[in-house]
Amino acid sequence: MSTPAAVNPTPAVPPALTAERPVAWPKRTVRTLANGLQVVLAESRAFPKISAHLFFCSGNAVVAHNAPGLAEITASVVRTGTASRTSRRIEEDLRRMGADLGTQAGADSSAIAASGLAEFSSGLLDLVADLSRNASFPEGEFERERRQKLEELKVERTSPGFLVNERFRRVLFGEHPYAIVAPTEAQVAAYRREQLEDFYRRNYAPANALLIVVGDFSSESMLADIGKSFGSWKAPQPEAPRFPEPPKHSGRRVRLVHMPGTVQTQVLLGNLAITRHDPDWYRSVLANAIFGGAFHSRLVVNIREQKGYTYSPGSGINALRQYGYFTVRAAVRNGVVAATLTEMFYEMDRMRSLPVTAEELESARNYLTGVFSLGVATQAGLLTQLSTVYLDRLPEDYLETYREKVRALTADDVLAAARRHFDSANAQIVVVGDREQIGEQAALFGEVESFDAQGNRL
Amino acid sequence: MKKLHIPVEHTTLANGLRVVASPDRSAPFVTVGVYYQIGFRIEPCGRSGFAHLFEHMMFQGSEHAGKMEHIRLINSSGGLLNGTTHYDLTNYFEAVPSNALERVLWLEADRMRALKVDDENLRNQRDVVKEEVRVNVMNQPYGGFPWLDLPPVAFRKWPNAHNFYGDFADLDAATLEDVRAFFRTYYAPNNAVLVMIGDLDAREAFSLAKRHFENIPPGPTPPRPDVSEPPQTEERIGEVPEKLGPLAAIAIGYTMPPRGTKEWYAAAILDRVLHGGRAGRVHHRLVLEKQIAVEADGGVELFDTNGPTQMVTRIVPKPEVATGAAIAAFDAVIHDVTEKGIPEDELDPVKVKLRADFYSMLEGGMGSYMPRFGLMHYLACFTLFDGDPDRVNTILDQFLAVAPADAQALARKILVPQNRAIVVRRPVAQGAAR
Repeated sequence: MSTPAAVNPTPAVPPALTAERPVAWPKRTVRTLANGLQVVLAESRAFPKISAHLFFCSGNAVVAHNAPGLAEITASVVRTGTASRTSRRIEEDLRRMGADLGTQAGADSSAIAASGLAEFSSGLLDLVADLSRNASFPEGEFERERRQKLEELKVERTSPGFLVNERFRRVLFGEHPYAIVAPTEAQVAAYRREQLEDFYRRNYAPANALLIVVGDFSSESMLADIGKSFGSWKAPQPEAPRFPEPPKHSGRRVRLVHMPGTVQTQVLLGNLAITRHDPDWYRSVLANAIFGGAFHSRLVVNIREQKGYTYSPGSGINALRQYGYFTVRAAVRNGVVAATLTEMFYEMDRMRSLPVTAEELESARNYLTGVFSLGVATQAGLLTQLSTVYLDRLPEDYLETYREKVRALTADDVLAAARRHFDSANAQIVVVGDREQIGEQAALFGEVESFDAQGNRL
Repeated sequence: MKKLHIPVEHTTLANGLRVVASPDRSAPFVTVGVYYQIGFRIEPCGRSGFAHLFEHMMFQGSEHAGKMEHIRLINSSGGLLNGTTHYDLTNYFEAVPSNALERVLWLEADRMRALKVDDENLRNQRDVVKEEVRVNVMNQPYGGFPWLDLPPVAFRKWPNAHNFYGDFADLDAATLEDVRAFFRTYYAPNNAVLVMIGDLDAREAFSLAKRHFENIPPGPTPPRPDVSEPPQTEERIGEVPEKLGPLAAIAIGYTMPPRGTKEWYAAAILDRVLHGGRAGRVHHRLVLEKQIAVEADGGVELFDTNGPTQMVTRIVPKPEVATGAAIAAFDAVIHDVTEKGIPEDELDPVKVKLRADFYSMLEGGMGSYMPRFGLMHYLACFTLFDGDPDRVNTILDQFLAVAPADAQALARKILVPQNRAIVVRRPVAQGAAR
């Protein structure tokens, strides 16, 4: 018998972890309909809701050469009318079903994403199908969305966080369409309604699409509903586009975006890295977690918890479909820009020079596998994980094997990944701030090219 | 209509700590929150921003877990953690694999019992907080709008009306003794609630809570100053310069009826009629129909406030539309509601959407990797402010019971100029930021 809790002194060491309960990812029902639409279903029945996301494997990259951002405005206008529903009717139908709808596009894909009460699931699927098949692109709605986009772009150009990303992607990807994160005002002004319709006709096609539905339903009856809503949809598959290669970056270079009078500097550096298909993916992600990808990581401890330069520093391995890139970022007070860059490079070089400790390794492996598995506990988390697997065409057992793959990694793996991908000698650096205050500091790290917020060379 | 029932069990330890458990064995994770009934509303006068700075200090080490140990132990258990400061509460929370439940409780108990901080930690976190304010407010177009702009115009008492993120001079003035005094006053177990959700057995969870928390001595009941506002008799109007963004932005706030009253439920329904995306009347009229605004929507922090609170509409007019014209268009929307009421066939779908949003919030509520954050938050708020965590299972019925006549009567009472404040963020001269 143990002594009663009340007379126990407070234990001075943290309690050990108890036996672990395994994570059980739900079984998926995966089907390809006769028209080529790939369907993935996963039941998650704790709350009476469903999420249905219809993805198309074409985004802004395929139109970047003639109309940057066209996929995005197409998605915005898709929700504003179909052959049988006005914009008003669509919004009222959604509210009646307790549903939210988002239509958006990124570099690689476009999406119609709906979620709502499970009791209205067939009506919600019908609405998603209607938008994906019968969008009518009303002229007035198109003009309204275009005007809103123009105002949005003006605001974005005053946001240091936007400008640092924009310049970094432009530098990193050169002529490759991933270089463009937003269109110019002139490009938006030049959009024609027929271009949106054309993008829609070519790319919103079943053989180019993936429908993931997660939530409180039985897969059998959900499949039947999907057959009714999407089975008769027919359209040819779009051609796979070809893009120019991004440039190779050798030597550190600095780009400065000048915003007079700003009270803080955005710092972002990195280089091209890898996609999820690269054999190095797992070890790079683990190296990143130790370097700057978690609250207890080296970079965060150094420049936040020891030096107080910044609030939310971090690093990431960002995977797009064709290329990935490595980033290190922080928003810091103007006086410590050089000091911040010095610490970033110091921590990168330390990762490249010395093996991580056994404790760091164990801790980061647990962190990654635990947080990865948290996705199983909510419909949104599950949908995020499934979309990674099926949009990126990862192996079917990706979710089930992630844990063992990460657990098997060693300190040597981390060292090898850091040497290959934390390329400090060839890092491309972007700083956004007041040139008078940060120009000299930035110049310590390489030749500086300066721009204004509109993107003009200074 | 499928009705959701959330299992809720609760107890109070001998030292006054309230403990709530909600088992859900569907996935091997637990979400744990410790909520203290202190927010920025009643932080000390002359120490604006202190409640939030203090929240940072709670991650700086305690008797048995030094600086970074708390964070390292949660991350290395496979979990996430954070803390946030609100008007009337401050929370600390973790989502971890369920085999780390006791470890989380040990850590939370250690810092509730014996926070251990020094001057160096304080200097460090003061610097971190200043960068937080710069990145979120000073160096961001429309940063802090309108949550930092509206209260000083809307309210007359310092607790409701001051700069909640903190003036830098006040942050600089904060001392280690302030930190210790604040901890002694507000961070006692009898001013807190512990919520545990997920892969756990309620009885075992209670016994773990007892083991780790019950020997923390209670403190005197913290002072609760009267924060109620004097009656408002006039419309209140203010203007704040916008240093980065190119467009004007308008915030209109109506003060809500007191929490938990019949009128409060009706006000929540009114909020959902006016706001809530494209189907809401304000967005529909100003953005979609009249096309005079780029953005128009709003909302209210309903469950987590326990003092004067506003329902806030935010409008960004197109540059060629004067702010006065945009406010007039908004007033026409309000006039329709007060004069013609809200038909049943509009109220019904509003209630369906409210129910759907409530469920979504309970399930997740903060990103896809913080399961049951919303459930934790509601259980804690209902315990701290209403003394009844089980309201999570009954509160929906009270919103759904609001009749059209209730909503219209309340609209006539609260959607009036003498109950509102308007703040305009006015861009400084064009090009100044370039």
